[in-house]
Amino acid sequence: MREHKLRSIAAIISMNAFLPMRRQPLFLINTLASPFSFLFFLAVVGRPGALIYGVAGGLVLTVLSVGSSLQSDLTHYKADLKYQEMAVASPVKASTYVTGMALSEFVFAIPGMAVFAVLSVIYGHYIFLGGLVIFATLILLWVFASALGFTLATYLADVRETFMISPLISIFLSVVPPVYYPLESLARISPYLVWLAYAAPTTWAAQLVQGALGIIPLSLFQGLEDAGVLLAAAAILFFIAATKAKWRET
Amino acid sequence: MPQALLARGLCRRYSWSGGHQDALRGVDLEVPTGTVLGLIGRNGAGKTTFLRIASTSLLPTAGSMQVLGHDVVTDAVNVRERIAVIPQESRPFYWMNPRELVYYYLTMRGETHRVAREKAAEALAELGLTRWENTVVSRLSGGLRRRAMVAMVMASDAELLFLDEPTTGLDPIARRSVWEAIRKAAKANRTIFLTTHYLDEADALSDRLALLESGKLLASGTRDDLAALARRPYRVEVSDGFPEEELRSYGDLSRVGERWMLFTGEKEARELSRRALEKGIRLSLGPVSLEDIFLQMVGQDISVEGEE
Ligand SMILES: Nc1ncnc2c1ncn2[C@@H]1O[C@H](COP(=O)(O)OP(=O)(O)OP(=O)(O)O)[C@@H](O)[C@H]1O
Ligand SMILES: [Mg+2]
Repeated sequence: MREHKLRSIAAIISMNAFLPMRRQPLFLINTLASPFSFLFFLAVVGRPGALIYGVAGGLVLTVLSVGSSLQSDLTHYKADLKYQEMAVASPVKASTYVTGMALSEFVFAIPGMAVFAVLSVIYGHYIFLGGLVIFATLILLWVFASALGFTLATYLADVRETFMISPLISIFLSVVPPVYYPLESLARISPYLVWLAYAAPTTWAAQLVQGALGIIPLSLFQGLEDAGVLLAAAAILFFIAATKAKWRET
Repeated sequence: MPQALLARGLCRRYSWSGGHQDALRGVDLEVPTGTVLGLIGRNGAGKTTFLRIASTSLLPTAGSMQVLGHDVVTDAVNVRERIAVIPQESRPFYWMNPRELVYYYLTMRGETHRVAREKAAEALAELGLTRWENTVVSRLSGGLRRRAMVAMVMASDAELLFLDEPTTGLDPIARRSVWEAIRKAAKANRTIFLTTHYLDEADALSDRLALLESGKLLASGTRDDLAALARRPYRVEVSDGFPEEELRSYGDLSRVGERWMLFTGEKEARELSRRALEKGIRLSLGPVSLEDIFLQMVGQDISVEGEE
């Protein structure tokens, strides 16, 4: 049988997202947990006005979590269930399998996104076309996070390695980068941290989201620069995933 | 008959920092289309390694393999459209029921919804799973889970099925239902490549057998081909009555519980039964079983752990 991409993707989304959500509705709010924790801290200890940073950060982190869930699900399916081997020995191509899996992780993130989107309307001051900017930013971030998650998953031998590596990645992608606070706060601690933050694509994404919500000023030039870096990061990761991910064991 | 699988000088070395393991050392094997091949061998013999190379999930380090006429390394796409596999120790998604497992596996492979529904119902019935079709996997026993996996690949349109120890953990009745499904698939002219530890299973199902030991193919062919290779084609069991020295002169002797077991040739077997009649000693005699052939070729029982 020839590959039938759309059918394959639909089947994978059903298996990996709709069925588990229907059987275990707690999955629906699972992705809200960690962005909400940050939001909560900001509400408790933050200055007035810090809350909107939490909302902007929540949007970014929720999309980022798609990448880490993808990484652990893929590793689990590969190492424990041996489902990846069954998919390899079938008409399904690696790109189709990953697209289906990445979309299904995205489905899990939808409730969280919806909640943060509503909060952003309540607490933010959207600039002109701000909604579009946020949408495009989050799509690019999703591509980046999914490609990263997939590539890592193909190299990891079991899920415990995921548990080891994910917190480290999240320090680099969501704790150090100014996802939950302004970039200047980071500069106050150390200029080196700022450089480190600039290496993380999430910094550029967060700048865009914060700008679109009217938290920080965002010039057209600045916006294009942020978007350019994010686009490049997504493209590079996509390229790495396409060429370096191990669909078949060497 | 065209070959569904053709391996030449196939080698696989697993390497890691500070060491390596040669899991396959130059294996030549053919599997004619429409036949059932049983690959047997002890733990660590290299069965899974061979099967994973054939099902395109592992690359060989040397040698070549063609599956359904296509090279598994350079032309995997064309192979993948026509095969299906149950990996060793694979487990079904625990939040799905058997009907969903089969149905979504088929639609993932590209079947239409209608065909997937029909084929799922058919395969579940064949494997005796209809009663459990709506029970989620987390509430099914291990044997039922394994059968659900068998149903998945059986329901597919793959021409060549790779089954890595499909009946491990099944009770005798469940094993029979898997056997029946395999036989039916073979009748439909599908090719089945099966690995197993159960020699009775390999014997009952396979048209051809291949015996792997420490990464080398010791023998392959029909059951009769293998029997002909056995050095001593008869097996004799006898309690007491003969002096040990005399028995030993007839062939390979070993003590099994309360009895003597002897592998011997045809002439010796005749002589021995004549002597037993004379002396009035009870003796049982017959052609060697697959288990005996294995024992003679490998020098050890299949259940003895392979050396690393
Ligand atoms: N991923 C791996 N890395 C290193 N060595 C491996 C790996 N997989 C298998 N081996 C080694 O290769 C050899 C063959 O293993 P394989 O799994 O193919 O055997 P098998 O015949 O399927 O055994 P079993 O009956 O136990 O399933 C063994 O010595 C094993 O330790
Ligand atoms: Mg094995």
